Amino acid sequence: MSGTFQTQLLLSRPYLTRAQIKRAQHNTIPDRRVYNQKRLSVFKLLCDICIQFKFPRKTLETAMYFYQRYYLFNRFESELCYDVATSCLFLSCKQVETMKKITDIASMSLRLRNVLKLSPEIVDNCKKRIVQLELRILETCCFDYRVNNSVHIDDILTKIAKDLSLSREVAHLAWIIAFDALKLEILLMVPQHTTALAALKIACELTKGASWPSIRYSLFESDEPSVSEAYFDLLNFFINAFDLSDLKANLPENLRDTGIETFIELKKQAGLEKGLKEPDNIMSDFLLMSERDFGIRERRYVLSRKRLNDERPIKNTAKREKF
Amino acid sequence: MIAQTEYSKEKKVGEGTYAVVYVGTKLSNERRIAIKEIKTSGFKDGLDMSAIREVKYLQEMQHVNVIELVDVFMAQKNLNLVLEFLPADLEMIIKDTSILFTQADIKSWLLMTLRGVHHCHRNFILHRDLKPNNLLLAPDGQLKLADFGLARNMGSPQDFLTSNVVTRWYRAPELLFGARHYTGAVDIWSVGIIFAELMLRIPYLPGKDDIDQIDVTFRALGTPTDRDWPEISTFGTYNKIQVYPPPSREELRRRFIAATENALNLMCGMLTMNPHKRFDPTQCLTSEYFVELPEPTTPSELPKLTPK
Repeated sequence: MSGTFQTQLLLSRPYLTRAQIKRAQHNTIPDRRVYNQKRLSVFKLLCDICIQFKFPRKTLETAMYFYQRYYLFNRFESELCYDVATSCLFLSCKQVETMKKITDIASMSLRLRNVLKLSPEIVDNCKKRIVQLELRILETCCFDYRVNNSVHIDDILTKIAKDLSLSREVAHLAWIIAFDALKLEILLMVPQHTTALAALKIACELTKGASWPSIRYSLFESDEPSVSEAYFDLLNFFINAFDLSDLKANLPENLRDTGIETFIELKKQAGLEKGLKEPDNIMSDFLLMSERDFGIRERRYVLSRKRLNDERPIKNTAKREKF
Repeated sequence: MIAQTEYSKEKKVGEGTYAVVYVGTKLSNERRIAIKEIKTSGFKDGLDMSAIREVKYLQEMQHVNVIELVDVFMAQKNLNLVLEFLPADLEMIIKDTSILFTQADIKSWLLMTLRGVHHCHRNFILHRDLKPNNLLLAPDGQLKLADFGLARNMGSPQDFLTSNVVTRWYRAPELLFGARHYTGAVDIWSVGIIFAELMLRIPYLPGKDDIDQIDVTFRALGTPTDRDWPEISTFGTYNKIQVYPPPSREELRRRFIAATENALNLMCGMLTMNPHKRFDPTQCLTSEYFVELPEPTTPSELPKLTPK
């Protein structure tokens, strides 16, 4: 199909449901286990780089969004994934205005990957790969700057906590919980303020004497299914991997007895697991059914569905063979 | 959705450090457009920040006085930004001595500039490079803020911003002092200088270099004191500068001979040294200047460039 036509018009869909993500990954990730393992070590690498450069959490968050998004539409190869991650971080620095020179980021990434003998040639090659990947990452995100722009989990979390008059203790615990969220695919499913709400809810439920106020999520520009999606995703993560979580390593003094059982109990109390409604048309969804074709000559990206629909009638009649 | 190529590039009209600009056509509706092809090779730090900022901030802004980003597309390996085609800018009009313009024309251009700035600021975006050259003019006379390559979010109060922004002649005093925290007031200062330039028809404060700019600015408008700007002594360079008295009202009247009292009030409001006391876009837009006669010229009746 790609050789026949000259232009492709793609609607940006910055958030997808769990099933949609699975379907997209079906095209790009041959071995899910390897991907998951690598994702954790990539996260560790990105964390270490961020610590070295004293980047704020939003830089890491944006890089993790880019990284996971990249592999929805580009084939996963374990040899390249650290370069992809480094490029994601480099781009995220530009996105959130925590600028660093490419040489610094490339050298740091290589050093933390224990590359012995950091010759200028090795650094230059790494820089080349970072630059090559940069545009591809942006393209995978459809140049959509509505996300990862001004709202980030940690700062919106403190604002919401203040607005709901939650204690400092709860807000701090939620802030720790939210760090674990950065490792999860929830970043690709719901916007940051929704993840913040879910982290706050869990923090309230873990803290003695605190209770999650019954609020309408629309007050915070969110909704029940989205918050539930994030809430259950976090609970499931702690149930499955609490021992590996950063929450466990950073539990406040009075919550030392928190364990997997605590989260199992929370899940039991929450009742039937719910979340975003899965659409019926996944199997006919063009975006998800094949690996993205970056070989098409002109690839246009739009943000609104209306714009896409407006162009559809004209385009359908104008379809023609490439000459 | 796949179909035929949508854009044609017809003529190269300019080349900057990070982009080549073409005039072209959007084929489906024959609309004239400008295409900025971003140069991607040869840059050691990857995709230029200006291109990123331009997409980031123009993407969601829709206002008659802000340039429209029509489309973003990749052609093979190059990033292209499709912008509305705006054939002239305010600098060309100011410099074209064959064009006469009236106080009503100046009011109209200033009003449109302020509306654009107001829209940016209410979306928490600082433009940071306002100058006549970046105020483009549409064929229907509408003025549009363009070049968002230096723009950024207002962000959190604790964020450190670079003071190396805004073209020198339009740079606010807090930037001349190297402030790392500043607000939309830097844009208002630029608009104040543009207003003065429209009245004088020559650049108002043309500093030869960054040091000279400080001298030129304070010689014309007076060196600020810590009485009207208490934080000023926290800037390291403050103690090293020459102290000039502020101009008297009479001196301003003589310099801006055609300006009314309300015009001077507005200009002085925009050129207040202390950024906290400087007018904000709402104060500017509700100024008496826009209520008094003459009414601002209808955009379609504004002077246009004479075809050469």
